[in-house]
Amino acid sequence: MVRAALTPPRRIGQGPWPLAVYVPAVTVLAASLLAALPIVSTIGWYPDFGYLVFVGWRLLRADPWPAWWAAPLGFVNDLFTGYPVGFSIALWSATMLALDLIDRRTMWRDYWIEWVVAAVLIAIDEWLQWRIAETAGGPLPFAAMVPPLVISVCAFPAFAWLVSRIDAWRLGR
Amino acid sequence: MATARPGWSRRAQYGLFFSFLAVIAGIIIGLILLGLSLVSPQTFQTVRGTALDVTGPVAGALHEVTETTKGVFSGAGNYWDAARQNADLKRQNKAMLQRMVEARAIFMENQQLKATLQLREHERSTIAVGRIVGSSFSSPRRFAILSVGTRDGVAVGMPVRSADGLVGRIIDAGTLASRVLLVSDRANIVPSRLLRNGIPVIAQGRGDGTIDVRPLEVGRNPFKRGDIIVSSGTGGLYPPSVPIAHVVKLQGDDAIALPLADPAAISFAIVEPPFEPAAMASQPAAAEGP
Repeated sequence: MVRAALTPPRRIGQGPWPLAVYVPAVTVLAASLLAALPIVSTIGWYPDFGYLVFVGWRLLRADPWPAWWAAPLGFVNDLFTGYPVGFSIALWSATMLALDLIDRRTMWRDYWIEWVVAAVLIAIDEWLQWRIAETAGGPLPFAAMVPPLVISVCAFPAFAWLVSRIDAWRLGR
Repeated sequence: MATARPGWSRRAQYGLFFSFLAVIAGIIIGLILLGLSLVSPQTFQTVRGTALDVTGPVAGALHEVTETTKGVFSGAGNYWDAARQNADLKRQNKAMLQRMVEARAIFMENQQLKATLQLREHERSTIAVGRIVGSSFSSPRRFAILSVGTRDGVAVGMPVRSADGLVGRIIDAGTLASRVLLVSDRANIVPSRLLRNGIPVIAQGRGDGTIDVRPLEVGRNPFKRGDIIVSSGTGGLYPPSVPIAHVVKLQGDDAIALPLADPAAISFAIVEPPFEPAAMASQPAAAEGP
C-alpha cells in the first residue's frame, strides 16, 4: 500500500503494542465517553464524537475490529449520549456493511474521496437523528441541523488524523 | 470482511459469509431495539440509569474544574468597566426598592384575600437539590445531566427548577444521576401564562436553546419584548407561577423567548414532586421519555 511505503523504515526492537488489536475499539469507547464532559451545551452543535472516530478507523483500515463489534460499540454510544437505544447499533452496523460494499466498488481512494464518503455518512447520521427526534415528539426544522452537520464534516479530518496517529502508535511505527 | 474474495480457502470464505450475517443481524437487532425504545421509552430505563451512574460522577468531578476556570475569567471581566456598572446597579437598586415596597403591599393584600377565600395552599416540598453537570452534545434533543438520582428520591416525571426559573423535567433516573428534558427541547410543552396580564400561552422548546411561545387564542399577538412567561400549573406536572422565559423577539402570532434558567450558568437545580400527582396518574402520556 502507498501509505505503508511512506512510513519510515522499521527500527529493530519495535513492534505492535501487546494489546494493539483492542486499541481501535477502546478509542471509539473513549470518544463515546466524551459525552460525559461537563460542558452544558444549550444549542447542541457538537459532533457525534463516537461516530466520527468509528468512521475514521473504518476508513483507515478494513478490519479495525471484527465486524459484529459495531453493534456493542453502538450500544455503549447510545447509553452514554442519550440517543434512543438501538439507534447507533443499527447505524454503526449498517455503516460497516456500506463501507464494505464501497470498498468492493472503488478502484482507488485518496483523502478527498474518504472525506466525501465520511461527509455522506455523517449527513445520514444527522438526518436519521432528525427523523428520530421527529418521531419521538420533537419535530425540528431541518435548517436547524445544518450547522452541526457542517461542523461535524469539518471536524472529520482532525479525527481521521488523530486516528492515524493512534494507529501508528499502536503498531509501533 | 475485507476483500471480495478471501482466496480458495473454504474456511476463509465461510468466515467472510458469517461476518456478513453477523452485521446484518446487528442491523436488525438495532432496528428492533430502536422501535422498542421509540414505542415504549420506559423499556431501557434500568440500563440507561446505570450508564448515567457511570458518567454522572465523572462529569460532576470535572464540573468543579470548569466552574473554577469560568469563574476566574468572568470575575476578571467584571472589573472591566466597573464604574459604569456600579452606577447602573445603583440606579437599578433604587428602582427595585420602590417595586419591593409595592410588592410587599400586594403580598399582604393577597394573603388577606386568600384567607377570606379559604384557599388550600399547596405545600411546596423539595425532593433533592443537585448540580447540572453535563448535557447532550450533538442530538437534536436537549437533555442535561443532573447529579442526583433515585438514591435521593428522584423519580421519572418530576419537575426540575432553579432559583432563576424552570429547568425541565426528569426523563431518566439512575441511582446517582438523572437526565433532565430541558424546557428548550422540542418535546417539552409547558402550559403557561404571561405574567403581565395573565393571558394563557403555550411554551414549547425550539431545540436550539430558545423557546417558542404561542397564545391559545389566535389573532392578535399579545407579546411585548421583555415579557416574562410563568408556568400556569395546568396539566398538573409543573407547579404554577414558576418563571420560565423572557420574550426577546416577536414572530407573527408567536414570540421567541430565552429561558430564564440558563442550564449552563445555574449552579443548583431543585427537584420537586409533581404538582398534582392525581392529575398525572390519569395522564401517563405526559411523562413520556426520549
